[in-house]
Amino acid sequence: MRIRSFFLFRRYTILTFIVFLLLSALILMSLRVKQRKGIDFFDALLMELTSPFQKGSTAVFKTIHGVFQNYIILIHLQRENVMFKQKIAELQKENSQLKEMAIANERLEKLLQFREKISSSAIAAEVIGQDPSSWFKSLTINKGEKNGVKKGMAVISPEGVVGQILKTAPYHSTVLLITDYNSALDSIIQRTRAKAIVEGIGENRCQLKYLLRSEDVMIGDVVVTSGLGGNFPKGLMVGEIRKVDKKEHGIFQNAEIVPSVDLTRVEEVLVIAESPRPQQEDKGKKVKKSPARVVPKKK
Amino acid sequence: MKRIGFSFFLGILFLTLQTTLLSSLPIQRIRPDIVLILILFWGLTYPPVQGGILSFFLGYLMDLFSGNSLGLYTFSRPLLFCLAELFKGRLYLEGVLSQFLFVFFFALFEGLLILTLLSALNPVPLGNLYPLVFTFYFPQSFLTALITPVLFLLLKKLYFSFFPPYGIGVKERG
Repeated sequence: MRIRSFFLFRRYTILTFIVFLLLSALILMSLRVKQRKGIDFFDALLMELTSPFQKGSTAVFKTIHGVFQNYIILIHLQRENVMFKQKIAELQKENSQLKEMAIANERLEKLLQFREKISSSAIAAEVIGQDPSSWFKSLTINKGEKNGVKKGMAVISPEGVVGQILKTAPYHSTVLLITDYNSALDSIIQRTRAKAIVEGIGENRCQLKYLLRSEDVMIGDVVVTSGLGGNFPKGLMVGEIRKVDKKEHGIFQNAEIVPSVDLTRVEEVLVIAESPRPQQEDKGKKVKKSPARVVPKKK
Repeated sequence: MKRIGFSFFLGILFLTLQTTLLSSLPIQRIRPDIVLILILFWGLTYPPVQGGILSFFLGYLMDLFSGNSLGLYTFSRPLLFCLAELFKGRLYLEGVLSQFLFVFFFALFEGLLILTLLSALNPVPLGNLYPLVFTFYFPQSFLTALITPVLFLLLKKLYFSFFPPYGIGVKERG
């Protein structure tokens, strides 16, 4: 009888434990939704403890990959390829900026000031890991709060926008990519200056939402940041329109965008520490710093 | 205790591999979820309390390194572990096909669970994610299930070499 009651107790202990475990997970979920600070501290601590593994692993794989590619298969071609890719990226960036300047000639001086400001306040970081899950799109970088990285800061690469800082730890951060369904970015179509929101739809694609039906949109149009969100400077390339979906009814039309950055292969990024705010600076007024407009979307 | 420490490091190793090596494979968008395989393996071989804590912790780490700020994996991974525990001893899971099907259905179940939770917790509709179930999550679950027999075999050998069954049995019996 005693033995039987012991086993019953043990059975219920396990059941209680399982319920406790799942309830803890639900409580954690609730705390995250409410964005409690204690959780952030715990997250940062765990991130710091486990990131070195990622860093080490990335370094090992990069070395192996580098040795394999550089010395065995394509010694010269690889170097040339890297050089040309860099050149193309630089030219694309330059081209995009020149177009932008031509359209808004009166803002030339301000744009140049932007560039200066971006380069002076940008933090270079290395990508040390990708998102472990398949539903979400994020990167882990090797720069954190101690390097001046803060939540919400814009992350870019020479080819264009990458995403924004989602979580920070002292020496590491998580970047929410523009392709994640939680990401939304205020943007404009370079040719027509039509305003819209770029939302992630996963699988290295985004969609242009809240784009008025009356706006002229074509396949191949370049989408750039509007600078209105506050986090991203104006004129950074987001991507190119691949598909336009104009239904017979409704106020808006949708368009599909392919990001200018290949987010599956990005290795180094720039975190923009301070974003210039053109209109407010022009007026020479001190304005309260407002949070990002929609990025990331509140869950 | 040694076994838990070993499993903990194995979990971190699997997570690291998933975020680095598997992400740099040519077909980056469809990659196997090796952490899920490990948790299901624990579900079939580990005692509930220790395995539950390990899977909870690994789920927490997954949330930490992903763009998911809700903590969905902290919930789904221990749940999957507990469900796998239920099947322990009830199903014949020594064969390649049975292991494949076991992991395949669990991977699909987790996908649907996450999608349901996301839909329930998000104020905005997530219409974009639903097509991904067929174009992306289904092939990924298939790929995860495909490598399961190999990984199960490796894990069995690994645990067997570090912790012989006799020792485990004695410890479990107390």
